[in-house]
Amino acid sequence: MSAFVVAWLTASLRLAGPVLLAALGETFAEQSGVLNIGIEGTILLGALGSFLTSYYTGMIWLSLLVAVLVGIAANSILAWMYVTVRASQVVAGLVFNVLAVGVASTVYRKALGNSALPESITMFQPLHIPILSNLPGIGPALFSQTILFYLTIALAFIAHFILFRTNFGLALRASGENPAAADSAGISVQRMRYAGTLISGAAAGMAGGYLVLAQVGLFRETIVSGQGFIALGIVIFGRWHPLKATLAAMVFGACDALQLSLQIFGTHIPPQLLLALPYIVTILAISGLFGGKAVQPAALMTPYVKD
Amino acid sequence: MAKLLERRLTPADSPLAIFATTTGAFLVAMFVTSFLFLSYGASPFEAYFALFHEPFATLRGFGYSLVRTSPLALIALGTIVSWRSGFSYLGFEGCFVIGASAATWFALLTAPGAGIGPLPFSFFLPLAILAAFVAAGIWAGLVGLVRAWLGGNEVLISLMSNYVAIFILQYLVGGPIRAPGSLPETKLLPRATWLPFIIPGTRAHAGILIAIAAAALVWMLLQKMPLGYELIVTGFNASAARYAGIDVGRRILLSAFFAGGLGGLAGMVDVLGAQHRLMDGISGGVGFVGIVVALLARLNPVAVIPTALLYGGLSVGADAMQRRASIPSSITFILQSLAVLLVLAFDALRYYKVNFAAFSGRTPPPVAEEVSK
Repeated sequence: MSAFVVAWLTASLRLAGPVLLAALGETFAEQSGVLNIGIEGTILLGALGSFLTSYYTGMIWLSLLVAVLVGIAANSILAWMYVTVRASQVVAGLVFNVLAVGVASTVYRKALGNSALPESITMFQPLHIPILSNLPGIGPALFSQTILFYLTIALAFIAHFILFRTNFGLALRASGENPAAADSAGISVQRMRYAGTLISGAAAGMAGGYLVLAQVGLFRETIVSGQGFIALGIVIFGRWHPLKATLAAMVFGACDALQLSLQIFGTHIPPQLLLALPYIVTILAISGLFGGKAVQPAALMTPYVKD
Repeated sequence: MAKLLERRLTPADSPLAIFATTTGAFLVAMFVTSFLFLSYGASPFEAYFALFHEPFATLRGFGYSLVRTSPLALIALGTIVSWRSGFSYLGFEGCFVIGASAATWFALLTAPGAGIGPLPFSFFLPLAILAAFVAAGIWAGLVGLVRAWLGGNEVLISLMSNYVAIFILQYLVGGPIRAPGSLPETKLLPRATWLPFIIPGTRAHAGILIAIAAAALVWMLLQKMPLGYELIVTGFNASAARYAGIDVGRRILLSAFFAGGLGGLAGMVDVLGAQHRLMDGISGGVGFVGIVVALLARLNPVAVIPTALLYGGLSVGADAMQRRASIPSSITFILQSLAVLLVLAFDALRYYKVNFAAFSGRTPPPVAEEVSK
């Protein structure tokens, strides 16, 4: 296998990580009946939280923890808007994203002043798993990622188990499929939707930490640039199913990485066309050309009013 | 003992109740934001004075406020047309860019010696409006097509399409219409294609007149025309509309086209009136703030112009504040979005009424009376 393919595969998996993490969390929110568009802004806030923690303390795991906590805190506001206030989920999520941009850039400037140089921080380094990472072809791609990648893959299996093998998962899905029936079966739809939104907040915050601590190493206001929206697309493409979402995220990562690899190797294709590729692929994936409307949680985006 | 707050069965929807909750929410947002000013060691009163003085009490600043108002208002009007038809379009950042690109392309063609050559402004303007409207209308119409034919989710597709449009812009200003120089931007547009300035001594341009005319047209469409009625019915209840013989798919397509077109006009107005050239990063989030304006105006075309003026003015005031007091202008983003989140939260209050009988200790009115209200 040529060096090009090895580099491409490695980058594919590397880039798939954060969006997959965000998509896994979003799956919980959507299965409970909440379309949480606010994950775009949550990722940004998580990225900022982990960047600042790492910048001031240098403790990398603490930074990741802060990202998760920031995500949960931010999404407790969103959950209140979605579930208790019963505001339109699209509106509340969208406006929250604008708010997050304002908060992130204000806090960043407050903390670091207007210094032109972006400050860099310590990052997670790739683990080179002995023997396996020397396998020809897929070895380096699969077995020399950062620990966050392996953690994310493990979380995909855990998410699958929780959603489809536990009472909590059943109650969550019931709240998104038929809230009235879930309610009469004694499930608190409100509590399930709070849980779904907070789980998606934790995952999105962690995805922001992942971006900063394992991929970029610095903070910019444009660091997320639609990855939260792509995660929403991956949830649809993955049919609201954690393991299928994992595959969908890999497809997205492959498009994104192709763009990077082709630019390095030099082609005559305009770079913007390659940059637009992941977005175009996501649009096609969720356009309905490949079905999908029928399997979405029936009560998605519908606030539940208890009679 | 009567409770002080009693729950109503339907929200109070008198104009007074709506105005009161909106204003209340905005004041609370200002109160919360004042703590941010305190963190910069600035007195909130002085900060708010600075924030409102420049854009609304100085002629020059008011001119700049009008410059910011027109694209915000046009995008808000596009939001109203699409959302009230039940089409949750969020792709106005992209429409802005597409409209700006189409207008720029056409304006460059009318430069002396270029493809078309100079046109009188009274010919140029309608054609530029047409170009920007149709280009962005088709751009948004594609999303409408996906929703109407394939049942795809327009919320996410339109969000994604913003990024694609921005890459198209970057391609255009990086290659085909790039001016020589280090920055990715076009040449300055020919002077004859600029929108006229309307207030002497300011940068205010005729774009605000286009925005006001568009608001009047949108109001007429939604309130006075059968098509607007059909759009609103489609938005309220698509299956009822279908039962009444309305072709729902075609209405959604049409509303997507109109909404996108209005977003495209926003781009045209900004490029021909204020920027006078196309460049990377020209939209800068206006597509989303425009949606926020529409929400604060409660999707009412008449309220759009004053609301857009408030938000446009706030952004001018914030820039002035950043220059003078080095308080980052991003604080207004917080104020602007917090206000709308609080409006949503305050809407829950309209489900309650204050029971004044609870103060005087008299017996509460019977519940039956409550229902009849």
